[in-house]
Amino acid sequence: MRYITIALSKGRLAELSIDLLEGAGLDCSELRSDSRKLIFSDDKNKVRFFLVKPADVPVYVEYGAADIGIVGKDTLLEEGRDLYEVLNLGFAKCKMCVAGPKELEGCMDTVQISRVATKYPEIARMYFRRKRKESVEIIKLSGSVELAPLVGLADVIVDLVETGRTLKENGLVVLDHIADISARMVVNRVSMKMENERITALIRAIREQLK
Amino acid sequence: MKRWNLYTPDGVQDILFGPCILKRELESRIRHAFRLNGYLELETPTIEFYDVFAGDSGLMRQESMYKFCDSKGRLLVLRPDITVPVARIAATKLKDDDFPVKCFYIGNTFSFDELGGGKQNEFTQAGCEILGASSPEADAEAVAMAINAIKITGIEEFQIDIGQVDFFKGLMEESGLEEDAIEEVRELIDLKDFVGVEQVMDRHSVSKELRTLILDLPKLFGSKDILKNIDYSHIGERATKAIDNIKVILEILEDRNLDQYVSIDLGMVQSMNYYTGIVFRGYTYGVGFPILSGGRYDTLVSKFGRDLGATGFSLGINMIMMALERQKKLRSPEKEGCFVSYEEGARKQALEYCRQLIDQGIPAQIDFMLKGMDEGIRYASKKGLRSFVYFYRDGSRKEISL
Repeated sequence: MRYITIALSKGRLAELSIDLLEGAGLDCSELRSDSRKLIFSDDKNKVRFFLVKPADVPVYVEYGAADIGIVGKDTLLEEGRDLYEVLNLGFAKCKMCVAGPKELEGCMDTVQISRVATKYPEIARMYFRRKRKESVEIIKLSGSVELAPLVGLADVIVDLVETGRTLKENGLVVLDHIADISARMVVNRVSMKMENERITALIRAIREQLK
Repeated sequence: MKRWNLYTPDGVQDILFGPCILKRELESRIRHAFRLNGYLELETPTIEFYDVFAGDSGLMRQESMYKFCDSKGRLLVLRPDITVPVARIAATKLKDDDFPVKCFYIGNTFSFDELGGGKQNEFTQAGCEILGASSPEADAEAVAMAINAIKITGIEEFQIDIGQVDFFKGLMEESGLEEDAIEEVRELIDLKDFVGVEQVMDRHSVSKELRTLILDLPKLFGSKDILKNIDYSHIGERATKAIDNIKVILEILEDRNLDQYVSIDLGMVQSMNYYTGIVFRGYTYGVGFPILSGGRYDTLVSKFGRDLGATGFSLGINMIMMALERQKKLRSPEKEGCFVSYEEGARKQALEYCRQLIDQGIPAQIDFMLKGMDEGIRYASKKGLRSFVYFYRDGSRKEISL
């Protein structure tokens, strides 16, 4: 039997993913141990795991270097990879939003927005092109995006909003809702065919726990 | 300033000696197989007018093609595919009594981010087209030829998935969804995004039976048994015909003893651009992308002015090379050839010997560095030659097997 390879996103998603995989009967003890290894395995079930940066998970899965991946919908939207998105795992929930100063509230359609700061340039570009039919200048930042409208770098931001506290404390409000985000399980298109039985069984076992 | 003179453009690659030999060998085995089965080879230009692929028919996305202009300012493209040029030929160069025509091609195609190349922008495709035949027999012949071709490459474990675009189109007709919603459903089914399909269904009123079936579409793949479990009473005529079509093709493949390679995927809705009937894709271990794709394209030829049913497929040679490598089935080229060296004064005999070998069809090469026997042997073994022959002034010679 071949090994099935699962790519997990480093960070808080990994913890929750491991719980689910263990619940599905996989042995993740190696993953839980504090090891410097890059690849962990469950030799009994012939499954391997590795942890990579979230943005890299869809890449590994698209190329077939991993058969299965667990990653946030935000990353999937941003990366736009050609994958099967088979399960909404429901955790790590938040919303992808357009946010900006209070003055813009309710008048997004009348005001000309020219600059948008974001960590998600593709999502921002798609949103403004498809939904608002506008060509805007996208400014890519790596963090603390909320700062941009405050210091005049951008008119609005596109970012993940969980509780809305950071926005509120900085005098920003949600102007539009782009997408619901949560963790997803993705599968390589070829793996889904070639290892159909085992992958379907794993999907079923994980879906059972989500009920 | 020559800033880029050391590099190749994104997505293209040099293929050097060893891999190049293997690739040519693979191509010639495939060519031989196609010929044996009665297909005739043709070549189409590397560049075509942009209108052939885009224009009104809109077959390919504009941004996926390499574009440039000819001397009259007309827009040209590097061909992103060879099926469309073959359709152009079928409509414009062939005569009515030529059909049916079975032809094949092996050539390079160019596209940004195309699946068939595994993200390479230039990739070799080998494909067959059957023009002027609308029978399920012709479709089965195309699938069989595809299976045959994969086997010939040395890949043993693979799977061909068959779908039918009319099944999805038929269901959508019955559902009464609007075009935008249909496209949304198509994208979601293509992603096997079960939740997304459900959300769209919730927004529209679709009959309960049909709704269940549409929700199940992402799951409708596997052995042919899935065809038995479909409730035919609600799917409409078009979708029913699509299933019957698949069944007939499967029967023919059974008669050809090829059914063990084939499975069904009714949720295969990604490649609808010019397909009108069955669609199929080939998968194997080791590469995350399909190694072949094909299907029936009955309306493509008519876009160039002749009504003609057609079906065919193309193999991604680069993908197959990658799969063979990952499955450790790429054997290194066999040792062959002779390296001929000589002592000063023995040149004439050495050259004569070398020429005789070549005349007999044995690869041979003459030493022109002349750094002595040891250096000659070292060089010949490094280049993977099989033997070394050294000529002495007195006319004698020494042969060493490497």
